[in-house]
Amino acid sequence: MTRYIVRRVLWGLLLLVLVGALTFVLFHVFPTANPARLRAGRNPSPRVVAEISRNLGLNRPLPTQFWLYMRGLFLHFNLGYSYYSEASVRSLIFDRLAATASLTIGAAVIWLGCGLSVGIISALRRRSRLDRASMGAALVLISAPEYWLGLIAIYLFAADIGQVKVLPGAGSYVPLTTDPWKWFTSLLLPWLVLAASFAAVYARLMRASLIETMGEDYIRTARAKGLPERRVVLRHGVRAAINPIITIFALDVGTLLGGAILIETVFDIPGVGRLAYEAITHADFPIVEGTVLLVALVVIVANILVDIAYAFVDPRVRYS
Amino acid sequence: MSPGPLRARRQGRPAGASKSWDRGDERHGGNPAKGDAPARLAVDTVSVGAAEILPGATRPLGLLEARERLAARSPLALFWQRFRRDRVALGALVFIAVLVVVAIAAPLVVALLGLPGPYVQNPDLTDAFGSPLGPSLAHPFGVDQLGRDVMSRVIYGARVSLEVGLLGTAVATFVGVTIGMLAGYYRGWVDTLLARTIDVMLAIPILLLGLGIGAACSVRGCADGLIQPGLGVIVFIIALANWPYMARIVRGRVLSLREHEFVAAARSLGASHARIMRCEILPNLIAPVVVYATLMIPQNILFEAALSFLGIGVRPPTASWGQMIAAATPIFQTAWWYMAFPGIALLATVLAFNLLGDGLQDALDPRSAA
Amino acid sequence: MTLAPTRLVARGRARRGLAPGGFALATVAAAAGAVALAGCGSSSGGVGAASAVGVPIGVQSPLSQPLSGGRRGGTLTVLNHEDFESIDPGIAYFTLDYEIVDATQRPLYSNKPNTIDDPVPDMASGQPQISADGRTITVHIRQGVHFSPPVDREVTSADVAYGIERGANPNVANAYFHSYFGSLVGAEKANGGPFPGITTPNRETIVFHLSEAKAQIVADALTLPLSAPVPEEYAKRFDARKPSEYGNYQVATGPYMLKADAEGKVLGVGYQPGKSATLVRNPNWNAATDFRPAYLDQIDINIGGDPTVIGRQVLEGSDMVQNDTPAQPIVKLAYEHFRGQLSISPGAGSRYVAVNNKQGPFANVDVRKALWAALDRVAMNKARGGALVSDVMTHFIYPEIPGFEAAGGLAGPSVDYNAYPSGNMQVAAKYMRLAGYPSGRYTGSSTLQIVGATGSPEAEDAEIVNQTLHNLGFHTRLNLVEKSVMYEKFCGVPSEEIDVCPNVGWIADFADGQAVLDVPFNGEHIQPSGNQNWGQVNEPQINRAMGAAETLVGAGARAGAWANIDRELVAQAVAIPYDWEKAPSIESSDVAGVSDLWNGGTWDYSFTSLK
Repeated sequence: MTRYIVRRVLWGLLLLVLVGALTFVLFHVFPTANPARLRAGRNPSPRVVAEISRNLGLNRPLPTQFWLYMRGLFLHFNLGYSYYSEASVRSLIFDRLAATASLTIGAAVIWLGCGLSVGIISALRRRSRLDRASMGAALVLISAPEYWLGLIAIYLFAADIGQVKVLPGAGSYVPLTTDPWKWFTSLLLPWLVLAASFAAVYARLMRASLIETMGEDYIRTARAKGLPERRVVLRHGVRAAINPIITIFALDVGTLLGGAILIETVFDIPGVGRLAYEAITHADFPIVEGTVLLVALVVIVANILVDIAYAFVDPRVRYS
Repeated sequence: MSPGPLRARRQGRPAGASKSWDRGDERHGGNPAKGDAPARLAVDTVSVGAAEILPGATRPLGLLEARERLAARSPLALFWQRFRRDRVALGALVFIAVLVVVAIAAPLVVALLGLPGPYVQNPDLTDAFGSPLGPSLAHPFGVDQLGRDVMSRVIYGARVSLEVGLLGTAVATFVGVTIGMLAGYYRGWVDTLLARTIDVMLAIPILLLGLGIGAACSVRGCADGLIQPGLGVIVFIIALANWPYMARIVRGRVLSLREHEFVAAARSLGASHARIMRCEILPNLIAPVVVYATLMIPQNILFEAALSFLGIGVRPPTASWGQMIAAATPIFQTAWWYMAFPGIALLATVLAFNLLGDGLQDALDPRSAA
Repeated sequence: MTLAPTRLVARGRARRGLAPGGFALATVAAAAGAVALAGCGSSSGGVGAASAVGVPIGVQSPLSQPLSGGRRGGTLTVLNHEDFESIDPGIAYFTLDYEIVDATQRPLYSNKPNTIDDPVPDMASGQPQISADGRTITVHIRQGVHFSPPVDREVTSADVAYGIERGANPNVANAYFHSYFGSLVGAEKANGGPFPGITTPNRETIVFHLSEAKAQIVADALTLPLSAPVPEEYAKRFDARKPSEYGNYQVATGPYMLKADAEGKVLGVGYQPGKSATLVRNPNWNAATDFRPAYLDQIDINIGGDPTVIGRQVLEGSDMVQNDTPAQPIVKLAYEHFRGQLSISPGAGSRYVAVNNKQGPFANVDVRKALWAALDRVAMNKARGGALVSDVMTHFIYPEIPGFEAAGGLAGPSVDYNAYPSGNMQVAAKYMRLAGYPSGRYTGSSTLQIVGATGSPEAEDAEIVNQTLHNLGFHTRLNLVEKSVMYEKFCGVPSEEIDVCPNVGWIADFADGQAVLDVPFNGEHIQPSGNQNWGQVNEPQINRAMGAAETLVGAGARAGAWANIDRELVAQAVAIPYDWEKAPSIESSDVAGVSDLWNGGTWDYSFTSLK
């Protein structure tokens, strides 16, 4: 077990380096723009461009740049500095992480709650009208582009410009520490929009998984033992059926923590996704690299944790 | 077989929940911010049932009569029987067929409807402040900021969505099937390399990557013209994002197929590896690949729209639904029609492909039909 | 932190109009009836006497606002969608940045809010003395001005010298140092330290030594924030960082300062990138030394938020202004329902289509004229918001700049390709025939590369140009990229061989014909990268005329000479003009806003008060 964990962690680290390297190469082979020239402003003399280039370390060979970057990352947890502001990438990302985390966690609560309960009910009342209606609705939500749903939601329900003024709309985000109530209301609309398609996916997953589980022998055994149906479903059925969903959930949350670019854009939430998107358009490479590494880190860690958790939960899992 | 650390563990969940797992799976394209994760679970589980029906199906039987006698009960016929009963999927298929016709015959359709072309600008159709006018008889979907007819542009927008959806999927499928087949057939280091590459791909936020490549290649193209600007960049990004998933599924299928008797038989008859792959294994991959590709199409359409929404996409003035939604964003409170209609078109198209994919899967794999 | 996309835009403060998502606006005198415009006055270019061009009745303009009599006290809340580019006076180069710099820093000369070409001594104590040979400028420094804490000491001429010298430091990389101070002796080798072109014989005197007789333009440039004093002993360690961190630890000389901690740190205290900035009174500021009334006690600037939402909050709320360009629907709303809270500032810059004069079809002057004739400039300006916020551009010196009237005024030179603001295909066909295309349409084989900017209204303008080129028979490839990328990677790099750049624009750093025309149209200034002569205009006779006009001293002579050059630029159709920008700004009903004519109509924090 320990050996397994160590192996997983080591591979995770290597993976991080590989992802970093790939991003590094991609953005140097396909640069959006030349940062030194962008910084130099108008009518720069070639000398100034060269000097800025040297200051930013852009004149060094690519492997050297990468080596210095990775050394900084692993020795000092230093993600470098933005080409344009003096701010360190680490602080920029941490600054934005609260907004992104608020968005992700709130939405996750909603989509788990709605998705799983709809999935369970659908599975238990298979082929009923309710089942068909909710699965149909789920497929519609899955098919809708979420940024469009967001815009529609703002158009209909935003407190400032909506047709029916219900909830704060775009650009209303307030940090939790500033005003918890405003934080909550300002995020309700983005939560609902972001959660919509996830809830749909989870409802379908839960339904299929539970239907599968309820056909298993041990459920029949439990029923035969005369356990109340409610207990059979919740204790035996749902508990087993939910396992695979946890895996997906950990990874969905992990990916979202790296920024929900579209929702952050539509609702004007100053999160990590927006930071990265803006950085790309301005060729602010250190920020892009930092965000990519953040996403990779969260995904990898979530993966390892889930797999280790399985080892404890499910003795059938063997690790080679 | 050494499962990569990012690989799903099949032990952890009930077997055979393939359909629903795929559902989670294809979400990665349209919403890279959230979708990548579930995809990893789809590994080699897609259409287990379908594949189990099909092996041997394409084997030549030799005797003409035998073939004819069996035709009535051939998997294809069985499949068609089942599919025909699925009214929703059939409806989706009809919708898609109509959409394809409309897209191909867009100039004719627009002319028949009496609309101006998608590129015809008319400043008289905006007010003194430049705000576009809303739906009217002459312009059922209203006009945009340049006075262009939105309905006409929505109709032409179908071309981009279908082109990108189909082309991107085709390239991803080709690459994924080739690599997945090699990895599953030869195993060993090819397989390990594939597994590791997929791990890396899964850990990268693909939308960010796409935006980066798109921004870099949008004008002059990239890699010495290998990646052409416009449609080419989008197709490249989509293929890059999708091939690993296809490769995983194919690999999983090949792993089990290569143990089948007909492969052993072919081998004992002295067939080369290439021939076995081409003639024995590939035909048996068609069903799961078609199903998975069908499910990839709507996600790729959504992905293209999302990239366009963020400013990376086909060149203007070509109409694309995502680009239209983006252009409508700053004025949607005064010009709701400009945002609403392209979005509805997008939703309907994606929904139709999803329904069709569901139907195909049910028809190929009755066990998963709920 | 977001990096503003418009870094390279034109000289200067083009930020407002070029804001993505913001709607800089435009149209024509011809469409004026549509918005009930008041009489389109003439702009004399005379000292402070300019009248607004096409500002409608009931709407404020910088020219109509009282500069005195405000109520003292109170906190103004500023809602901006966009962040600052840089708050360092040596780096700041955009409209929004200038509003902070203007309230906190004192350059040698400054314009009052209602002027653009009449700077008054600010850090200086009197007008600059230019020697007879035009090679020496002497300026005396005002006594009794102190830096804000933690520096606290009195400002000397050496501080002004250091402020300019650091502009050449690559860590600062001031955008206009070489354009205006490049003629100082030794400037080309300067890298942040002292150089022979600037001397300080005593604490109150600074002398500029020029290698060429270009004193007027250097003197004009002393209104720019680079001439604001910076204490070397304090700033040096920050300037040594790559890039300089002085902006985050800056000290002030103006009535306000960015809130700072005891060590002078502004970052995280008075400025949170992407979130907020706070201006408080500078305790060391002495009202007796300044012309600014400084009514407000504090200015809270909120950054971010949806442009439409911000606009509504300002119009319907209290104690608020928006200092970046309001969104188009908001301008419409303000005009229809909150007219008294809307201010329109003329002379906010120009926009034109840059075409490749060096190679390709547009190397032919008649093809350029054909495009000029064909282009529907009214439609282009309508896409920007209509006649309320834009006049059809007919030549290159824009309203409020000396020489505007002499160069043709609003109507522009009377040549047939300029006579039809809504475009005329017959005239266009005539010029295509003159260019050697007998059918009146382009029949060549080349495909035009067009690179425009994303966002509205730039994308719409680019699409109109693209369609017009199609109508003329061209094959085109239109690409829209982020604006700073458009400048840095494509339009500003001649070797990219872009044929058409439909979204370039220009706002002069100060009101002088040279500041408007020299860099974008003088062939001598073509650079291999970061080029701002986007069309690679290189007409020997125009270059010569510009060289001669640069050395002229005196407003009248200069205005006449540059107006003549403007007429020649129109005769050669070096670029296709379409928009003279009029910048809208909005305030709450209880704000007595004063906006800066010299800064694209943005609100001036040192003059604005609460009612």
